[in-house]
Amino acid sequence: MWTGTRAIAEAVKLADVDVIAAYPIRPYTGVMNSLAKMLADGEFAAEIIGADSEHSQFEIAKHASAVGARTFVGSSGVGLAYAAEPIVVTALGQLPVVAMAGCRALDDPGNFGMEWNDVLTFRDSGWLMSWAKDPQEALDMILVAYRVSEDRRVLLPSFVAVDGAAITHISAPVEPPSREGVARFLPPYKPLYPLDPACGPITKAQHIAPSLIGPELRKVVDNSMAQSREVIQEAWKDYAVFVGREYPPFIENKYIEDAEIALVTMGAYAKDAWYVATKLRQEGVKVGVVRMRYFRPFPQRELAEALGKVKAAGVVDFSYSFGSADSSSVLFNEVRSALYESGSHPLLMDFMFVGGREPSVEHFEQAVRLLQKGAREKVVEKYVWWPTLRGESQ
Amino acid sequence: MELDVKSVTPEYDQLNWVIIHGRGVLNTGHAGAFARGLATAGVVSGRESYYYMRYDDSPERDNIPLIFYTVIGNPKIDVTLHEEVEPIGGVFSAIVVMEPTMLISQTSQRALLFDGAKKDAVLVVNTSLSPKEVIRLVKKRCLAQDWCGKLVTIRAREYDANIAFPLLAALAKAWNVVSLDDLLDALDSAGHRDKTGLVKRVYSVVEPVEVRITAKETLMAQTRKSKSSCKFKKGRWDLETYRSYQKAAAEALSYAERIKAMPSWQVLSPGLIEFGPSQNEKNKGFTTSFARFLRPTIDKSKCTDCKMCSLYCPDGAIDSKGVEVDLNYCKGCGICARVCPSKAISMMSELLAEEGLTEKEITSIEDALVEYGY
Amino acid sequence: MSERPLIRTVRDVPSVDLYTSGHRTCAGCGAALGYRLLLKAAGPKTVVLGPTGCMYVANGHQFLSSPYSVPWYHTQLGAGGAAGVGTAAAFRSLMMKGKRKKEDVNVVVYGGDGGTGDMGFSGLSMAMGYDYKRFLYVLYDNESYANTGIQASSMTPWGASTTFTPTGKIKRIGNLRMKKNVALIIAAHPGVRYVATATLYPPLDFINKTEKALEADGPAFIHLLVPCPKGWFTDPKYTLDLSRSALETGLWVSWEYENGEFSLSYRPEPRRNVKEYLRMQKRFEHLTDDNIEEIERMTAKEWDYWKEMDEQKRMIIPWVAPPWPSP
Repeated sequence: MWTGTRAIAEAVKLADVDVIAAYPIRPYTGVMNSLAKMLADGEFAAEIIGADSEHSQFEIAKHASAVGARTFVGSSGVGLAYAAEPIVVTALGQLPVVAMAGCRALDDPGNFGMEWNDVLTFRDSGWLMSWAKDPQEALDMILVAYRVSEDRRVLLPSFVAVDGAAITHISAPVEPPSREGVARFLPPYKPLYPLDPACGPITKAQHIAPSLIGPELRKVVDNSMAQSREVIQEAWKDYAVFVGREYPPFIENKYIEDAEIALVTMGAYAKDAWYVATKLRQEGVKVGVVRMRYFRPFPQRELAEALGKVKAAGVVDFSYSFGSADSSSVLFNEVRSALYESGSHPLLMDFMFVGGREPSVEHFEQAVRLLQKGAREKVVEKYVWWPTLRGESQ
Repeated sequence: MELDVKSVTPEYDQLNWVIIHGRGVLNTGHAGAFARGLATAGVVSGRESYYYMRYDDSPERDNIPLIFYTVIGNPKIDVTLHEEVEPIGGVFSAIVVMEPTMLISQTSQRALLFDGAKKDAVLVVNTSLSPKEVIRLVKKRCLAQDWCGKLVTIRAREYDANIAFPLLAALAKAWNVVSLDDLLDALDSAGHRDKTGLVKRVYSVVEPVEVRITAKETLMAQTRKSKSSCKFKKGRWDLETYRSYQKAAAEALSYAERIKAMPSWQVLSPGLIEFGPSQNEKNKGFTTSFARFLRPTIDKSKCTDCKMCSLYCPDGAIDSKGVEVDLNYCKGCGICARVCPSKAISMMSELLAEEGLTEKEITSIEDALVEYGY
Repeated sequence: MSERPLIRTVRDVPSVDLYTSGHRTCAGCGAALGYRLLLKAAGPKTVVLGPTGCMYVANGHQFLSSPYSVPWYHTQLGAGGAAGVGTAAAFRSLMMKGKRKKEDVNVVVYGGDGGTGDMGFSGLSMAMGYDYKRFLYVLYDNESYANTGIQASSMTPWGASTTFTPTGKIKRIGNLRMKKNVALIIAAHPGVRYVATATLYPPLDFINKTEKALEADGPAFIHLLVPCPKGWFTDPKYTLDLSRSALETGLWVSWEYENGEFSLSYRPEPRRNVKEYLRMQKRFEHLTDDNIEEIERMTAKEWDYWKEMDEQKRMIIPWVAPPWPSP
């Protein structure tokens, strides 16, 4: 029985990470505590550095990765905000750092509650992003992240996002893969151009004149991200073979084949959505659940396919995007945008669970009811709901 | 992207672009004042006008060439915004050279002085050299196309420590876009009424000369012809590929050529990777002779081979073994002359050393205007 | 402790430049000279991290252009310390785990006063707290944020004109902050083995200090004063003259602190009046003779501390009352 943070630490150990940069902030810190103890007990070997800030922490990881070390780093909430500079730079420098995001509400005020904005801030940066549903998947995603990030067709860093408290702090059964399985699945990290005197005078990230080479450098990153799709599929396939646990790579669907209503979400609360869907199916409600595993690259194709025949879909979103179209939220906007050119145009509603107040299954049922009404009447006077907000009207 | 455009082009040729060349820090203030004065003259005479330092020259650095632009509009068409004016085709209606040695070096864009100039461009040079001497230099160093325009020279410091004002007057005399009245109005409106007298004086004194040079008379056009196009390997981004691209870019004779010599994105490796020089090599991607207006000369009879000059050159341009100055990289800072314990090094004007010409218009930090923050 | 003999003559300085010719720095750039000397001393088995600043932008700003003959990676303005630590940690880990051959590799960070003394201070402090060997941070101090066009940093001296502290009609003296002594602060980090200050003169001082720093048993720090023709508004040819004058007037103190033992590297006797140094630079043009005398007095007072430290071979923190409110 392991918490999400303990499970992730196990993955980091199994991946034989070389350099770990730590800095404490709730709720991700546990992973570093676990790793520190493992190292102190000699369970594996790595340099672990307690940095002076998240900014330094992510810089340490980035530079260690440039030399050729496999690195691990992580943070939550405003810690991620503090690390914004190295985060954006790491992706553009195409270093395969793997980081854990323990999703937590951004300050102010200080709030340990769960929100996705801390890591979603970096959705445009070039980091791959995946959302685990439980400690087991968190462990699995870390190992796959190393494999995908370090692949020469990709060479982009990865965030594995785990919902604060719901995954970081809840202990659940976790089956770690065997060392042999991991050894067969995850090859050693072999960078193209290590920053190492043994490998010649590499000059990395020289200041450039945009008229000469600006867009070209961005295109290389764009191309790597595009190539990541194929690599992600291969990796999960191999994971099933060598480690023995199988996941659909991009999205996991339940009850979607004949669904008229769908809930679209990520992370731990998909469990609650499944529970609600199962109960309502018994009533005859044709409701399905789409759980996105990757946010970047955005699984546009798979999403459009899943929602192809759905009449109304509700995004269960733990983020906000103040001032966006319809004053909605991040995942909602991405889903809507992804579907615009597809053949799939269900009625889309946004169920925003913000401020860190936990949703209950009743909220999810309410969402389904609203979607049913919308599907029936084809018109909806309110698209965007804050179900957990005190006083939110019907 | 292949642009299939027929109707919309920047119409540079209908706008009045002026390119002003100066040396960083030494001339920034002057070049800025010139560009500003000129743009103001455009505005007060009823035309949309702008001026700015070329953004890629920011921050300006001592001796390193920089460029200011002024564009004066044409009442019939709108000025289009274009920050980086690439000297492709005939754009510049006037070229202003604030420091005389810039006649024999590459511009900040590492191009020829006349790159992008219109055929009938006006050239204004701050120099004590005669028009004849300037024309000879232009033929030899600055031009690879026909030029059928005007040249006006003036030794600006004889009139004012702020060389912008004499040079503005000189330009107004030779250039039909801005008149003396426009200029005087501009001075008035910008609080420089005190400069009116000197501007009028310079205007009356300068004598623009007509110049007619054909491309085949120029040395640069011949050099261009004799250069074959470089072949480089496409494919994996490795040291060899990188060096071939680097060579092609360094040998490019114009800004446009340099851009064309750049690799397409498919050639690049992920990770922002470039390859530094191997040991005992120098940076072939960037030579800096264009920063020099003084050159060190070493009197071997006084030299004791102490190696101090070689040790103290910030650019590593003095070979430690033979105490030879590498003119590809020497910026003429003068440190070597200062540190030499036997006073064997003296700084000579680059124009004298290269062309045997005596230049009396001396640029120095003494009359530079502090204008930082770019 | 250093086993290697000091370099005694200019001829013994390694001739190979690992920061080579071909960079867009100012004519007479002190920081460029510092880089050149630093890498000569460090040698080819070195990885360099270059925080944003003049020594990043001026050495590039194109494409297909690099003057670095050793592996070199950019890092962010305030990230020098962390970049060095990350690099050193990777080497140590890979070597310890048998993923890379064991050998000495220098990790050198060459960062400016703005990035290091302000934004990167916390990261620098962190770096100095760890035990990586062959780890050297050189702070090249041109006394401003030079690359962005000469703005005041915490290492801009009192009274200097910069674009953030310009002299004006109402406010004649813009910069009231006293120059922060980063090297002293670093010396107060218990694990630091070698701290030194230097400038570009005398010729071999900085080179030898670099070599000693890299052979120290732990992290090392050198604070290098580099005259800046653009920022100090001086003729490029006077860069070395300024270094020398800074030492001779005592406005720059050259010292070493090796495993807790302090010694002055240069003792100006007699110490020349600061006037000759300050009056060379247009950034001090607006200072009155009274201001200059005030600076002379402060310098003289500070020197009591340095002399005492040199005698006792220990560190004592100088304290000199700032001239507030400004005259």
